[in-house]
Amino acid sequence: MATTSKQYKVIGEELWKGRAEKTNAELFALTYGALVVQLIQDYEDYEEVNKQLEKMGYNIGTRLIEDFLARSNIGRCVDFRETGEVVAKVGFKSFLNITPSVTHGGLPIAASPTRSSTASPAPTIPGATFTLTLDENPLAEFVELPEEALEGGLWFSNILCGVLRGALEMVRILTALCLSKFTYHSSDSNAGHGYVYLRCVARGRNDRDQSHPCQVSRGRSSRRR
Amino acid sequence: MTIYSLYIYDRHCTCVYYQDWHRTKLPKPAAEGGILPAVSHQVYPQPQQDTISTSDPISTYSSPRNTLSSSSGVVVAVNEEQRTTTPQPPQAQSGLSFDEEAKLVYGVVLSLRNMIKKLSGKDEQFVNYKTSTYKLHLYETLSGYKFVMLSDPNADSLRFVLRQIYSGPFLEYVVRNPLVKMDSKERGIDNEYFRTSTDRMIRGLSVFQ
Repeated sequence: MATTSKQYKVIGEELWKGRAEKTNAELFALTYGALVVQLIQDYEDYEEVNKQLEKMGYNIGTRLIEDFLARSNIGRCVDFRETGEVVAKVGFKSFLNITPSVTHGGLPIAASPTRSSTASPAPTIPGATFTLTLDENPLAEFVELPEEALEGGLWFSNILCGVLRGALEMVRILTALCLSKFTYHSSDSNAGHGYVYLRCVARGRNDRDQSHPCQVSRGRSSRRR
Repeated sequence: MTIYSLYIYDRHCTCVYYQDWHRTKLPKPAAEGGILPAVSHQVYPQPQQDTISTSDPISTYSSPRNTLSSSSGVVVAVNEEQRTTTPQPPQAQSGLSFDEEAKLVYGVVLSLRNMIKKLSGKDEQFVNYKTSTYKLHLYETLSGYKFVMLSDPNADSLRFVLRQIYSGPFLEYVVRNPLVKMDSKERGIDNEYFRTSTDRMIRGLSVFQ
């Protein structure tokens, strides 16, 4: 069962090539931008916009996973590490034609993951988190956020968070959203360059539906330009 | 060889879709509240019988679409809601109401699957079983949907067909259909397109005669 990340890469590329309907990336970016602007106008509150984006993403994710499973023919992941690889190499590749880099990390035991943004302290559960770094973000192709939106705390690509949460939840990896200021600071050094960090943290199991192992994970994303 | 029926169950163990072909005994409609709406209008609890149908109790149970599965007729158009004016030949009915039947099928599948997992201890999959009169095929997706098909005992494994239904009509007309609420626990996934294209796919199979 040791499907290496290289194999996943191949699967992802084949899926992307085999996909019949593709949307123009520019059209996609512009449509998404228009959507976010509309949300901002409607809600006039960045917090609320973030929430709505996440909710939209969740609804997309719950359906997208079926598409993913039907096409990719991938079996159940052994651990959360593998989940991270599949999400990045197959998921993102086949739907958005990008491959975020994955960084696996541990989760500090009995600490709220929200705060543990600095280098991990003492004991950790290995392989309980992964961070996806999107070097190029198709959602933010032509986007330049005004200072006001940045200060207001708009997470432009928050929809990705929701998609991931929804999709993982459907395969019984429960996900909850965790938003921290962490990635804001770290992306400061890359000002002028669009970065998105998605952080997923495995937290527990969901045995609600049936007897399948699954983890709770937390995703987070923010972007800055 | 032939195919009898198809059941689809969602993650919450409820039947969300039902379709049958060459079934000799039609299921009795479910009891009120026994199944979700939009599973199959053929087995959905009938409203109080009106004057026309009381005279002929059989016509209550035969849905318009049942005319398609009568082996003698020629199918002209499937999309049409055909109102049968000619009384259908009386069809035998199973003594079980549909909601009970759906639960039984699910129960069998689930217990067998769990038993198999316990016996092997690995992530082994239950594919089908066979009796003297029928064969049950199962395809389960990672997201928890279960596709169950009953066929002739001599049929080969129909798992690939179930997978085709999943990646074909199911994806196209259920997952991508914003009007179908998935995972709602309130409604089934029945819709005209899905039913028609599944029907066409099954009828095109070599096992289907």
